[in-house]
Amino acid sequence: MQQFGTDAMKLIEALAVIQRPFPEHAAPFRAFLACGFTPLHLQTFLTAALRERLAMMRVEISTGLFGDLPGNIERLPIAECDALVAVMEWQDLDPRLGIRNLGGWRVADLPDIIHSAERMLARVEKAICHVANSLPVYVSLPTLPLPPLFTTPGRQASLHELRLRQAVGASAVSLAAHPRIRALNAQRLDEISPACSRLDVQSELLSGFPYQLNHASAMAELFAALVRDATPKKGLITDLDDTLWAGILGEDGVDGISWHLDRQSHLHGLYQQFLASLASAGVLTAVASKNDPALVEQAFEREDLLIGKQSLYPIDAHWGPKSESVRRVLKTWNVAPDAVVFVDDSPMELAEVQAAFPEIECLVFPKNDYPSFWQLLRRLRDVFGKSAISEEDSLRLDSIRAAHTLRYASNGEGPSLDSFLRDAQAAVAVNFGKDKNDRRAFELINKTNQFNLNGKRLTEAAWAAYLDDPGSFLMTVNYEDKYGALGKIAVLLGRIDDGAAAIDYWVMSCRAFSRRIEHHSLRWLFDNFHLQEIRFEYRPTGRNKPVQDFFANIVSAPLPANLRITRMEFFEKCPPLFHNTKVKAAVNG
Amino acid sequence: MDNFEERLVHCFSSVFPGLSEGQIRDASVDSLPEWNSLAAVTLVALIQEEFGVQVSLADLPNLVSFSAVQNYVRHNHVAS
Repeated sequence: MQQFGTDAMKLIEALAVIQRPFPEHAAPFRAFLACGFTPLHLQTFLTAALRERLAMMRVEISTGLFGDLPGNIERLPIAECDALVAVMEWQDLDPRLGIRNLGGWRVADLPDIIHSAERMLARVEKAICHVANSLPVYVSLPTLPLPPLFTTPGRQASLHELRLRQAVGASAVSLAAHPRIRALNAQRLDEISPACSRLDVQSELLSGFPYQLNHASAMAELFAALVRDATPKKGLITDLDDTLWAGILGEDGVDGISWHLDRQSHLHGLYQQFLASLASAGVLTAVASKNDPALVEQAFEREDLLIGKQSLYPIDAHWGPKSESVRRVLKTWNVAPDAVVFVDDSPMELAEVQAAFPEIECLVFPKNDYPSFWQLLRRLRDVFGKSAISEEDSLRLDSIRAAHTLRYASNGEGPSLDSFLRDAQAAVAVNFGKDKNDRRAFELINKTNQFNLNGKRLTEAAWAAYLDDPGSFLMTVNYEDKYGALGKIAVLLGRIDDGAAAIDYWVMSCRAFSRRIEHHSLRWLFDNFHLQEIRFEYRPTGRNKPVQDFFANIVSAPLPANLRITRMEFFEKCPPLFHNTKVKAAVNG
Repeated sequence: MDNFEERLVHCFSSVFPGLSEGQIRDASVDSLPEWNSLAAVTLVALIQEEFGVQVSLADLPNLVSFSAVQNYVRHNHVAS
């Protein structure tokens, strides 16, 4: 059975990690750990877990005063931090909810404890939201058991306790709705740190640190994973027989395959439902199957399938090696193998695909092994999960179908590209507002590899600081044509000064290639700001060949690091553009 | 140096990374300015983790040197 759990780091390992020297010229990552208790080993574990994930950065964690969670957040020197990690425990809401204070647990005290906890929650929430306007915030709600101050037996939930939990839950909902606040998932914490093994009474009373080591380690691990979210995978390629459904299509026939409880094949129904959920969230889903294509076509006519064929693209069925199908799917999607998961029930097929594409994550579909199936769904949710679903996510599959049509045109197999683009009824919307909460723009800068000016990434704090600079601008580009909308697909960050623009970041989604949107973006800048020159902080990377090719078509190679394109150079080489332009927001840069 | 002693030295070197093995053996609260309350609490946590020995924080005032810690852990350590 594949295990997807998290191994807790030991304290001795954490100390070894934080004693490693930093790489030369490492950029700082400064986190503030706000808690009301002595941060002690939590600070050690968090530093180590962050250093493991931010290996090229100088991780520095500062902390505040003992017993003053809200004050620590309110006094946070925002300009000197890149992130806030706020750890709330019951005693921060009212000292009587902890065990270091002897303020009274009489029945008559309980309503006042609840009331003061609610007021403190409101104060902490306000302070966190204020910080979140400038910094990313990662927050955990109380993780320790409540002390036995309620009068019901421990097996019975007390009304006061439920009110407390209700108040904390409501606060968590409110916090998590903020685009720059991420709440630690209590369910995942429960799985790796059992509730009964969290509180260290001796340590809390004698040193002011309430966590057992394993709990501190688990908390730090989850926080570090929140801070340094792995880039979500983009696509899932699935097998059909004994994976998407139970049974062998070629042997059992279209009516013989199943995914229902009464046929004891319900796991396959759950898997279909899960894939439909992923597809609805913008994950690309495709099929690679050794099968008769005509029969597969018939199977997908079944109306009781929980994922329709419109959500699976392409469906590649034939009798050749699966790696051939995977290769075709990757080409159609235009995504790298390391952004893809392949699921199949056959270890042999998985091995064949893995050998051809070592970067693909290959997962076995564990038919009839219920615990392993549950682990598979958890793993898939983790690798595809993202903090928010954007409009572009829902457009992704349609835009790939459109891109496929476009490639057909630009390959010379259809009408010429000029003629195709002229007929495409393309519209480009340029947005020049500096919205720090524009998650899509931030995400594009941090995940785009191919059309990327220099491969540079931005932390959330650096993104906010860049936009706070009054001399900077943020330009985003949305695109649509008669084949569908692509949503927001390009981002430029730079400065305009004295008839010239300096571009520090420029990325464009690979879904938008071959539409001359990059030309349109520069033409708009030249025309709108009457620029004579645009300077680019260009740097070749191993993966930004589309950018290199674009520049090479305008200026002579070799391309210098500080690239300049004059108005004359650009308009001499700019191909015909057929887009209509809309400016979506007033210029405020 | 037996395995037990080696593990204890490793615990000490995690808390006091600049010290040689010889300096660790001679270490005491009086001779080592870095041996403050934070270091002491960290050392106790490491010993609990490494040896499974529950160190009472009330015993901390007695654990003032490497040899004192060594004796304490040997005495309370059941299985390595």
